[in-house]
Amino acid sequence: MRRARGRALPGAVAALCRALPPRARPAPDTLRRARFDRPQASSHCWRLLCSLLKQVHGGKWTEPDAIDIQIRFIKSVLWYHGYGRPELYRLPSDGSAGSRELLLAFSWLLHRISLLEQLLARNRVRTGDETSVCTCEDDLTNSQKGRTEIAPEYSLEDKVDVRYLQWLHGRLRFQWRSLHALHQEQSKLLHKIHLFTSGSHMDKILGHFSVTETELIRQPENYKQLLQFLESETMQLEAFLEWKQLEQVYWHWMVKTREEELQKEEFCAAARKTQEAVELKLLDLTYHCAPKKPKMHGSCRLVFRSKHSASKTGFGRSVSKEPISTVSATEVIRELQMRKASLERELKQLQEECRQRMDEIAEGLDGVICISP
Amino acid sequence: MLPAGCGGRLAAALAAALGDGAERRRELERQAARGRALLGRWDAEDEERQKSDSSSSNGQESRPSPKELEELELLSRALAKALKVRKSIQKTSVEAQGVREGEKAANEGPAPKNAQVQQVPVSSEGVPVTTKVKAVSRKPTSSKKPSSYLLTAPYRTDPDVKKAHRKAPARCMSQAPRTAGKSSSKAVASKQARRHRLTISASNQEVCAAAESQKTDGLSKCGLLEQQSVSLGDSAGGKNLVAAGRQLFDTGKEGCGSLGGSSKKEDHTTEDALGRNSSPQADTLQEKGSRLKFPLPYRKAYSRNSRAWENCRLCQSSADAAAARNRFIERIQTTFCSPMPAFSPAEIEEEVKVLQNVPSLLSQCVEAEHADHPTLQREYESLLTLEGLQTIASQCLHKLQLLREAAESQMRLCPECTGDAGSCCSDSVPPWGQACGSTGVLAEPLLCYTSFQELRDLFALKMQVSMLNQEIAIQKTCREKERKPTTSGSLQVSCTSFCLVLLLFPLLKHALRNATIMCIPLSALLVRAVYGRLCAVLMHRVLRVH
Repeated sequence: MRRARGRALPGAVAALCRALPPRARPAPDTLRRARFDRPQASSHCWRLLCSLLKQVHGGKWTEPDAIDIQIRFIKSVLWYHGYGRPELYRLPSDGSAGSRELLLAFSWLLHRISLLEQLLARNRVRTGDETSVCTCEDDLTNSQKGRTEIAPEYSLEDKVDVRYLQWLHGRLRFQWRSLHALHQEQSKLLHKIHLFTSGSHMDKILGHFSVTETELIRQPENYKQLLQFLESETMQLEAFLEWKQLEQVYWHWMVKTREEELQKEEFCAAARKTQEAVELKLLDLTYHCAPKKPKMHGSCRLVFRSKHSASKTGFGRSVSKEPISTVSATEVIRELQMRKASLERELKQLQEECRQRMDEIAEGLDGVICISP
Repeated sequence: MLPAGCGGRLAAALAAALGDGAERRRELERQAARGRALLGRWDAEDEERQKSDSSSSNGQESRPSPKELEELELLSRALAKALKVRKSIQKTSVEAQGVREGEKAANEGPAPKNAQVQQVPVSSEGVPVTTKVKAVSRKPTSSKKPSSYLLTAPYRTDPDVKKAHRKAPARCMSQAPRTAGKSSSKAVASKQARRHRLTISASNQEVCAAAESQKTDGLSKCGLLEQQSVSLGDSAGGKNLVAAGRQLFDTGKEGCGSLGGSSKKEDHTTEDALGRNSSPQADTLQEKGSRLKFPLPYRKAYSRNSRAWENCRLCQSSADAAAARNRFIERIQTTFCSPMPAFSPAEIEEEVKVLQNVPSLLSQCVEAEHADHPTLQREYESLLTLEGLQTIASQCLHKLQLLREAAESQMRLCPECTGDAGSCCSDSVPPWGQACGSTGVLAEPLLCYTSFQELRDLFALKMQVSMLNQEIAIQKTCREKERKPTTSGSLQVSCTSFCLVLLLFPLLKHALRNATIMCIPLSALLVRAVYGRLCAVLMHRVLRVH
């Protein structure tokens, strides 16, 4: 068994490496060297982990930072997900050591946040008309705005005229109105394209083409790169499947890595007690990790499905063909309406507070008449 | 004037919001342009490209200038008038009259008559016009003839054209075979010509049929229309329309058939006509949308790809692999510093996000129960509801307390903490948007809509929610001093909200106060309160009855 595992190990590690995205794909040798804590592999491992984590956190690919910023980022992310191994946090910020620790952390992340699956999903080649279902990007923009520094042109010393603010606000409102019109036009165009191409797609669940796909049909020469991406993604997926079959070997290998390390440490009673305490906590954790109500999140492909065609398919097209993650626009609309209502309440409340404060201030001013705009 | 810091912050926030909006608008406009391009005529663009290829070789092509478009507009109006005129004189035999009129008008220069004169010799050439005319009413299938009537740029820029307007049609005829050879988009143009003739046939069927039965007049008018249709049928929509237009304009055109104004309008009428006639040469998405197919290499790649996705989605770890994995995880977690907080920061954030919505939901329910209840049963129901809400509220509060403790201990463990609570790790970690479950992650998420109305509503609502979020953020900017939002910050907000909720429960407030003072179990107290209230209501009723 062990010999078989030994033979299968290079295959497993190679499959794992090929299942990672092309931009952050290590050589299988790197992982092997990391296991033996080779310092040469350290900086490479840090950079690798950094680029992997950046892909699942925040998504924007920026220029690679200096090594100490990357290390700080990795440590923050691991802390964020609850990685509690102090040895990792004690690693130096110059990237000269820690390849084994990184390998352990990487393997932990593989399980804890389903790193491979997340990477595949985030980097998925999308050819549909993508629409986000949640409003997370709004929350992100607004919270980021709250954190950033004040723009240089509005320094703290300057006094700002209220009329200028009112003008800005008016411009903003006008902008929203024009955006509304643009959105309506966009929905009309999309619907027409979906309607006109109904019945042509080779995937019957989708049924019709998206804008990108229609453009592809019209001018295939513009989309050669898309084809390449698609093919490379397919290879990555096949590597993932291979990895899934061989992963047992990998985990055994990792357990042995851990054991080697354990033998180096002193095994005292305190450690045993800690183990028991942690097992207890793990029970609590598992309870809290129980699947909650699944909520749709992120970007989805827009598919037009007229009620008429739905009834036409009848019994032949059974529901089992329906992918798990289909969401109907009705649900999303309902959720959005609820959210809109609660946001309106909140806004009203804030405005009321503001008004009360204004009243208080106005009362304090003698002989002044306030005229509202 | 506003206090300095607040004003500056507000202005910055508004300016940032305007910047975001401008970016959104740019993106939307780009997408709309793509959509519009796809919904228009596909081969119009192809011809544009081909034309630009050929133009780079013969350098004759140019875009219609605004003046030319204006002339085009005038032409189309004149054509519309002519159609009306034609319809009104269908039955009259005006052959000789027409010729006479034509001769008379030759000096004045009204277009149809003039052209009519010229058409006579043309028709006496006989075959081309006649066959074309016949073809018009019978949905022609031949595609050779039209090319002989192509009007290309050399014709238009030829200075002799304007002077020799009388000879123009003939010139057109004679030139056409020459230019036909030059044009590289003959086939396409012929298609278009045919299409235009179909358009004409569809709308002027009667007229042309009548024309056939007529002598020169009908023939000439139809022929004129034909000629114009052919000229319109040229590629690079509008250029040769302009050529014909200029010619006719110069001859003082009146009454020409209606053949649409700009090329866009042309497209629509063409589309409609085609829709009716179901020509096999459809070149809009509307016509051929349902017959489109991916190019072969893409089709292969796509099917391989979707199969691979499906396999990945369905595959699961073997039991042995899962066991080995769990063993590793257990072992490594024994090395974590103890005691580990109950929640990781990621979990805390997720829970808090969910709990943030709860106060407003609870207060909604509470407000609903504040209404007067007519019957005793209803009163009891309302009280039970309040009791249930109280349970939920206290459970959430308890959860919040746990989260708060976990957050505090996490902050202590935070590797980069420099003592400034809440400003370190949560800042350097970009948002983590976790999708549902690990298996769910690999399925392609679809959002299905069933009608145009639904799609419109969806987009509108999303936009309104974004707008409201932005407004609220701006309002909060007015209010805030220097506080930066953090995990613990939102925890504080949630706690405050819960306290507020509790204050809305007169019963609960009373109950809670008593419970803390007298250490009586809460539920018992509540039951007593409920019972007491019920009795009060009963007494009230009894008194009222009497």
